[in-house]
Amino acid sequence: MPDINLTIDGHKLTVPAGTLIVEAAKTVGIEIPVFCYHHKLDPVGACRLCLVDFSPGPPRPQTACTTPVSEGMVVRTQSAMAVQARADILEFELANHPLDCPVCDKGGECPLQDFTFRHGYPTSRIDGPRLHFKKPIPLSDKIALDRERCVLCYRCTRYYDEVAWEQELTTDERGVQSFITSQFDQPLKSIFSGNIIDLCPVGALTSRVWRFESRPWDMTHSETICSRCSVGCSVTQWQRRGQLVRVTSHENDDIDEGWICDRGRFDYTDVNDPSRLRTPLVAGRKSTWADAINAVAAGIKGKGAKLGVSLPQDITNEEAFLFRRLLDGPLKGAKVKMHGRTAIPAPAGATMRIRELDDARVIVVVASDLENDVPIIDLRVKKAVSKRGAQLIVVNPESVDLDRHPRTVHIRNQKGAAAAEVRKLASHDLLKNPGGPVAILFGDGHGSEDMNELATACGALAEQVGGKEMPLYRGTNERGALAVGVGRWDKLDAVDAILNWGPPPTAGLPRSVKFIAAWDHLPRDGYENAVVLPAATFAERQGTYTNVEGTVQFLRPPIAVQAPLKEGWEVLCELGAALGVTLDYPGIFPIQREIASRIPALASMAQAPSPDPEPTPVLIGPAHP
Amino acid sequence: MPELRGSFGDAPNHLLTRWFGTPDLHRLGVYESKAGGYSALRKALLEMAPADITSEVKTSGLRGRGGAGFATGTKWSFINRDAPGPKYVVINADESEPGTSKDRYILENSPHLLVEGILIAAYAVGANQAWVYIRGEYDEPYRMLSEAIEEARAKGYLGPKPMGKDYPLDIRLYRGHGAYICGEETALLESLEGKRAQPRSRPPFPAVKGAWGRPTLLNNVETLATVPWIINNGGAAYAKFGTDKSPGTRLLSVSGNVRKPGVYEVELGQSFRHVIMELAGGVTEGRSLKVFWPGGSSAPVLPASMLDTKTDMEALAAARSMGGSGGVIVMDDSHCIVRAAHRLLKFYAHESCGKCTPCRVGGDWAVRTYDRILANEGSQTELDTLQRVSDGLQNGRCLCGLGDSAGWVIDSTLRHFREEYEDHALRHECNVGGPPAASGRHLPRDRDEAASA
Repeated sequence: MPDINLTIDGHKLTVPAGTLIVEAAKTVGIEIPVFCYHHKLDPVGACRLCLVDFSPGPPRPQTACTTPVSEGMVVRTQSAMAVQARADILEFELANHPLDCPVCDKGGECPLQDFTFRHGYPTSRIDGPRLHFKKPIPLSDKIALDRERCVLCYRCTRYYDEVAWEQELTTDERGVQSFITSQFDQPLKSIFSGNIIDLCPVGALTSRVWRFESRPWDMTHSETICSRCSVGCSVTQWQRRGQLVRVTSHENDDIDEGWICDRGRFDYTDVNDPSRLRTPLVAGRKSTWADAINAVAAGIKGKGAKLGVSLPQDITNEEAFLFRRLLDGPLKGAKVKMHGRTAIPAPAGATMRIRELDDARVIVVVASDLENDVPIIDLRVKKAVSKRGAQLIVVNPESVDLDRHPRTVHIRNQKGAAAAEVRKLASHDLLKNPGGPVAILFGDGHGSEDMNELATACGALAEQVGGKEMPLYRGTNERGALAVGVGRWDKLDAVDAILNWGPPPTAGLPRSVKFIAAWDHLPRDGYENAVVLPAATFAERQGTYTNVEGTVQFLRPPIAVQAPLKEGWEVLCELGAALGVTLDYPGIFPIQREIASRIPALASMAQAPSPDPEPTPVLIGPAHP
Repeated sequence: MPELRGSFGDAPNHLLTRWFGTPDLHRLGVYESKAGGYSALRKALLEMAPADITSEVKTSGLRGRGGAGFATGTKWSFINRDAPGPKYVVINADESEPGTSKDRYILENSPHLLVEGILIAAYAVGANQAWVYIRGEYDEPYRMLSEAIEEARAKGYLGPKPMGKDYPLDIRLYRGHGAYICGEETALLESLEGKRAQPRSRPPFPAVKGAWGRPTLLNNVETLATVPWIINNGGAAYAKFGTDKSPGTRLLSVSGNVRKPGVYEVELGQSFRHVIMELAGGVTEGRSLKVFWPGGSSAPVLPASMLDTKTDMEALAAARSMGGSGGVIVMDDSHCIVRAAHRLLKFYAHESCGKCTPCRVGGDWAVRTYDRILANEGSQTELDTLQRVSDGLQNGRCLCGLGDSAGWVIDSTLRHFREEYEDHALRHECNVGGPPAASGRHLPRDRDEAASA
C-alpha cells in the first residue's frame, strides 16, 4: 500500500493509504474522542463525537472515524469549529444522561467522563427534566442494561451483527426514545455476549457478576492468559483484597483480537469460593503438608498399572514436565488420562497460526463445532469470511453457528465418516483453485472420529491443495502436555489407586479404587476418605501454557499464592522427594530453562517476559473550549 | 380523484404535465396514442447508445427534484456501466416531505410517464432491475403504478426483451411503512433491504455501494418522469426553459392558506409572488401573507417581505433557503410562528431515526424548550438554548439532512421572527391571535369550487 503524507495539528506524519484520520491521529498522540468508532468494528459515523476540521474539504466539521487520510490533507482537531462541535455533541450526550456516576460501575474508567473532562464544556447548560427508562434491565443472567446511561453508539449491536453473527441484540423505537434491547426480550444466549460489556463506552452494559463489587481504582490488575480452553486468549484479571473480582479482555492481535468468550469472562467465582481447600486433609482431618505428601506417596508408590492419574486440562508446562519425571521413575506404568483433551494425536511439527486465518481464501472446518470447542477461533473464522471474503466449507454431521453465513458450504457426513468426506474435498470446486492460502481446521468430533485416519486425511488434503493444518486441541494445555509426553488418554478403569489432580474425571472416580489422592482447589463428593492436597487456581499459579497453535504463553497471576497454599511445582518437587526422586529446583525459572533446553516445541520458554507489561499510554486531551 | 387530474400552471410551458387531465391517461393505449408515450423509450433503446442518453440528460441540466437538487446526468455518470455484477435503479417515491404531493400527482395522472423514465434510466446506467420505493399510504398510486407496469409488461415494454432489444428490464415495487426518514436515500436503501431505516455514512455513495452493496442510481419520481421529454426533444430544448443553472420546469405543491391549493408546473426562475399570489390565488380573503416554506417543511422559511424571491435554486440559496422538494407551504397572519415551529420540531423529533446524537437528542431538547416557552415559562435562557440547539444540529453535525432541517426550522424562524419569539419567551404574550386556524377551513372541497370562488 502506498503511504500518505498529511498534517494533523502541525504534526507531519506518513501513514498507509486507507488509514482513517482517527487512527492516524493516535500515531502522533492526538486524541480524537469517539463513542461509536471501534477499531475492530466497521465505522458508522453515528455518534458524531469525532468531528474535526480538514482541508481540502467542505467548510464543515467532518467525522474523523469515517474519513480516510488523503495526500496533503491538513487536519485541525483544535479549530474553533471542531472544538465547539465536539463539545456540543458531548453536551447532547449528557442532556439525558442520569449522571449517576457515584454508583456506576463504569465510573473511573468511563470514556464519557474522561471525554467530557477533556473535550466538553466546563459548566452544565442542561436545563429541564431528563428522559427516564426502567432500569436496570437484565439482558441475561450475566449482563445488565441501563438504558438511561446508554449513548446509543451501537457498538454492542454492531458487534453482535458483524463479529459474533448473532441476532440477539437490536435497537427498538426511534429518535430520543430509541433503546437497546434483546430480540423479543429473550435472554442473550450467545457464548460471546460478554464482549459487549468491554465495548460499551459508558456504564450501560455491566457485568452482573461484578456489578457493585468494587470501584475500578480499588483493584489491581494483571495481564495474563485465560485458562478455560486451548485458545489462550489474553485477559486482564482484576483482584481486590485477594479476591478475583473481574476478568476483562486484553487485546492480542495474534490470538484473540480483544474478544473473549463468556466462559473466560464469567467463570471465575470458584477462585473466591469460601469453601476453597487451603490446608491438606488426611481422612477428613487437617494435616501438615509433610504428612499429607507422605500419605499420598505411600498410596501411589509402586502400583504400576494399578495406579490411575487424572490430569487437569490447565496443567502448566512446568507441572507437566515435573510430573513426567515422576512418570518415568516411581510411577512408571501408571495410566494417565488428561481431563478434557481430544483424541487428536501430537502434531508432527509447527501448525498453522491463528493469525494466518485472516489471509485464508478457503477455510475447511472438519469435525468441530468451533463455537464450543475453540470459541475465539470461531470469531476469527467469521471475520475471515464476512470481512475478508474467505470461502467456508464445514464438514460436520450437525449444524453449527458458521452455517449462518449464506455462502457457507456445509457437507453433512455420517458420524465417524469425516475422513471419507475430507478425502473427497480435494476435487471440490472451491478447493480446485482457491486463489490463496487454504486453512484446514479439524477437531475430533468429540470422540466420534477415528483420529489417526482423520488427521492423515486432513494432512493429505493440505498437501494436495497447498493448505495449512490446524489441529483443534481443546484442553487448555493439551498441546503442552503432548509435547512433554504426559497428555495421554488411557482408560482409568480397573485401577486400585488414583491421583486425582484437578476436577474429577467426567465419568466420575472409578469404582474400583481403594486409595484416592485428590489435589484440587474445591472439596467435592468422593473426597471424604481421600488424602486431599489444596491446589492453587488459575488466578494464583505461575507457569506457562502452550495454546492450540503451539504458542507458549506466560501466566501473570494477579493473586499471590498464600501459605499454606503452595505452587504446583513446589508440591510436585516435594512429592518427588517422598517418592525418592530428586527434583531440586529453587524456583520456577530453572524449571523453565531446563524445559526449554530439552523440549524443542517449548524452546521459547527460555525467555520469560517481564512480569510488568508496558502500561497503556494515556492520551492527554486538549483544554476546555 | 378528479381534483387531482389536470395540468395547472403557466401554459404553454408544460413539459411534464402537458397531457395530464386527458381521460384515461393512465391506460397504456391512451398514453401512447394521445401523449406519444413510450416513443422516448423506443428511441433510447433502439437508436441511442447508453452513454448518449446520459450525455443528453447532462445537456438538459436537469437537477434532482427530490430535495438536494444534484445534477441528474452527473449522477447517472457516476455509475460504472461496465462494472461486472448487478446494478440497480431505485426510485424514491416515498414523498414524505410535509407539504409535498407532486410525486403522487404524477403517479395518479400518468404512471406510464414514470415507468418510461425508469426504463430509460435503467438502460442508461446498465441496470436490469429497478425498485420503486413507494410511500405506504399511497394506495391509489400504488395500484395505478402496478397496473401500469403490468400493462407495459404485457405489451413487451419491459421484461426479457423490451421492444425486442436483448436487454432485460424489470421494475418491482416496495411499499414503505410510514417513516419520514425513509425518504432519505440511504435510509431508504436500508429499508428496502429489510433493515431498520437509518441513514448510512457517506462515502461510499449509493452509486458505488447502494442497494445490497451494489452500484445504485437513486432518483426521485419527478426527476425520472422528466426524462422522456428530454429524450424526445433533446437536452438542449429542455435547457432553454428555466434559468442557466436551474433549467426546466418543476412541480410546486402549494398548500396552506391559499385560495387554490394544488400542484402547479412552474418554469424555474418565476417568483414566489407569481406562484402564491397568482397561480394559487393568494391568501384567504381578509388575511395577509405572513410566511412561506419554499421547498417543503425542511426548507428555511421566508417571510412575506421575500415574496419576490425566485423559484430557481440559486435564488433560493441566496435567500438562505432552498428549493427542496417543491412543497410551498403558505401561512397567513393568523398563525403564531412559535407554535408553528414547535409543531414542526415535534415532527422532526418524532421522525428522528435515533442513529446520530445531535438529531436524536437535539430535536427533543428543542421541543421541550418550546414547551416551556409556550407554557409562558420562558426567558432569555430558553431563547439561547434554542439558538444553541439549532447550531448543534446544522452544518455537518448530523449524519443526514434530517437534523439540519430541524435546525433550520428553529434558525430561520428565529431569524425572521425574533420579535414574536421574544413576545413569548420574555413577555409571555402572543400577539398573533390565538392558535392556528383549524386545518381545512380555507380549503375548498374541490378544484371546481375553488375555480368558481
